[in-house]
Amino acid sequence: MLALIIRRLMTAIPTLLLIILASFFLMRLAPGGPFDGERPLDPETQAALQQTYGLDKPLWEQAWLYVSRLAQGDFGPSLVYRDFTVSELVAQGLPISLTLGGLAILLALVIGVTAGLCAAVQAGKMVDKSIMMLATVATALPTFVTGPALALFFGLWMGILPVSGTGNGLSWLVMPVVALALPVAGAIAKLTRAGLATVLQQDHIRTARARGLPETKILFKHGLRPALVPVASYLGPAAAGLLTGAVVVETVFGLPGLGRYFVQGALNRDYPLVLGVVTLYAGLIILFNLFADLIYGWLDPRMREG
Amino acid sequence: MSLYSLRNLSIDIAGKPLVENVSLDVEPGKCTAIIGASGSGKSLTCLTPFGLTPGVTSGEIILDGVNLTRADRYQMRQARSQHTGFVFQQPMTALTPHLSVGSQLQEAARQAGASRLSRHELAQMLARVGLSRTDERLDQFPHRLSGGERQRVMIAAAIAHQPKLLVADEPTSALDASLRAEIMDLLDELRAERNLGLLLVSHDLASVARHADQLVVMEKGRVVETGPAASLIAKPREDYTKRLIAAIPRLEEAAPTLPAVGDMLLTTRDVCIVFPRPGWRRGNIRAVSDVSIEVREGEALAIVGGSGSGKSTLGRAIAGIGAMTSGEIRWRNEILPGRRKRTREKYGHIQPVFQDPIASLNPQWKVIDIIAEPLRNLRPEFSKAERARKAKAVLQEVDLSEDMLGRSPTSLSGGQAQRIAIARAIIAKPELLVLDEATSALDALVGAEILRLLSRLQRENRLSLIFITHDIASARRVCHRIAVLEEGRIVETGAMEDVIASPQQEITQKLIAAS
Repeated sequence: MLALIIRRLMTAIPTLLLIILASFFLMRLAPGGPFDGERPLDPETQAALQQTYGLDKPLWEQAWLYVSRLAQGDFGPSLVYRDFTVSELVAQGLPISLTLGGLAILLALVIGVTAGLCAAVQAGKMVDKSIMMLATVATALPTFVTGPALALFFGLWMGILPVSGTGNGLSWLVMPVVALALPVAGAIAKLTRAGLATVLQQDHIRTARARGLPETKILFKHGLRPALVPVASYLGPAAAGLLTGAVVVETVFGLPGLGRYFVQGALNRDYPLVLGVVTLYAGLIILFNLFADLIYGWLDPRMREG
Repeated sequence: MSLYSLRNLSIDIAGKPLVENVSLDVEPGKCTAIIGASGSGKSLTCLTPFGLTPGVTSGEIILDGVNLTRADRYQMRQARSQHTGFVFQQPMTALTPHLSVGSQLQEAARQAGASRLSRHELAQMLARVGLSRTDERLDQFPHRLSGGERQRVMIAAAIAHQPKLLVADEPTSALDASLRAEIMDLLDELRAERNLGLLLVSHDLASVARHADQLVVMEKGRVVETGPAASLIAKPREDYTKRLIAAIPRLEEAAPTLPAVGDMLLTTRDVCIVFPRPGWRRGNIRAVSDVSIEVREGEALAIVGGSGSGKSTLGRAIAGIGAMTSGEIRWRNEILPGRRKRTREKYGHIQPVFQDPIASLNPQWKVIDIIAEPLRNLRPEFSKAERARKAKAVLQEVDLSEDMLGRSPTSLSGGQAQRIAIARAIIAKPELLVLDEATSALDALVGAEILRLLSRLQRENRLSLIFITHDIASARRVCHRIAVLEEGRIVETGAMEDVIASPQQEITQKLIAAS
């Protein structure tokens, strides 16, 4: 298992490098630059700024400089928020985004697996059909619909949860986390149900039944773990989606997370900021996929071999 | 009084009667065996009384003096956990993949309410069923064990709670021929040692004759004949039983007369096939090493070996659908190139037939398209009408009627599907068929018909065969010569009758004993 982790981290480095270089050059292909405002700057100031940030050098040299600084842990300065380095901006936004994403994944897992279990046990009956319908609705509704709807209902009408910002206590987390978790929970519910439906037909379940075990024990001890394999493979991309998808929710609920910097950075051509956030996301996604692989091995030991 | 009795048992699934009026008894310490073709309801008869199929029973079920006929789910569970152990057909899938052998054994031992067993006691259980390195095995997951080892674990788990009745549903069918006898002997020992009643489902007549006391013959959900095993097999009364017994190839039967052979058709020299180890592990697996064989016109060669001996890999390389690392294959003394370089015409000489007939036919296609496909590819000059005409003709050759053409593979029985697979293989007039366990997945009666069909094609079309199997008795019905493969090498080869009469190698003796 340790060997797997080490090997994965080794392949992570070239992967990250590729992503960084690709984003670097793609971003430069887009027209415009960080210093194009509504009023154009006079050419001298423009040139001076370009020189300060090294933007006058050949593109490949800039890329090399960026990567070699990154290797030392330096994400560079922000071109738009001029008083901050990218690291400082990230340090502000990351905790909020990670809290949101992490809680949303947990909530989605709890709701999704529970709902999927209930549906699988009652397969074909009313409970199953209603859960599956709700799951479809949950996956289909985009967060920019559920977010404002939640805010309208619980925030404005009932007045029990804050509509915007990070107030005191933890109540500000509830709506954004729920809005983020809903579509993921729906997908997990469907995957869990489908996984269980397959596993419960398998021979080893009959063996367990032949031992006269109670049905709940058969379900939890013999059935659930292999049934969750599809859920685990969904978790990696889902975590990625939660991080990037959080942009919408952060905007709706006015939270100072990473997503905001990502979008504004891209619009302002704040190259180091966008690259920094992309690098971070890519690193997190690689990490999540590694987690998913480790979870695989636990769910089904046969996968540890391959 | 009997340990277990069924009286006029009938089983319905979704309103469809599948088993009717079956009565049988199992005595303590004795073995009652049910034999019959597939679909005869023998597994249903065994498992449904314990609630292990979706079937609904009527009639009387009496286990150890307790009437289970109208048992509710709780009582049924009690009956399973207290007095009965089960061994199933597929050892590969019957154990839970994510629980260690030790924890599954512990669960089995405690199912009747016993207290927790020590590691030492669990290890002893594994030792009792003939496993070595028991301490290590307890921590292993099932996939690390071979099929035979897993079946031993299944048996250990089935008897761990000291049941009175053991229900074994084809416990050896999925195992290597050489292992079958060992598992049956183990069941015999345990039966004697613990006064265990055994209800056995089998289609292996030879082993039933050796191990069973009572025999129940079933056909289409009904009992055809019952009686003491030895006398029933020696003197079957009913026509169906006679046919069933005659269908099962046995080495005692008279040697068949096989057609004469002609010129050299196919020779291989020093064929080696090496695969990289799967996953991250280093090194290679030598699946086939230095194999040289020859097949003449009209000749049938049996390639025989246990599972993992490399026989299928070799067959695939010869048919041009698998890789070959080194060595050469010659066709009429001309080099036959490997998989990618083989021309259409050369592919046409050799056609494969596989083990699982239904899985080897594309379920989305109609039979006519399946049969005609080789023509489309190998004989592009034919028109559609011509292909259809040829498809009809070839259906007759395999004894199927024309109305098969419009059907889809999923609606076919195993025997029909295998005939279609053979029709597909012979439509482009190949000279050699590579049959990979082509009769192994079929039940005795159907398998015998396929063997008859092959021997007719051999005679009438002068078709050469490479017959890959683990069952020497089946191979003997069509094959002139035999090559025994072990760990990728040919360890023994010669004329079929000579090798059967005086096998030199241990593996050959084992395979013969198992046939």
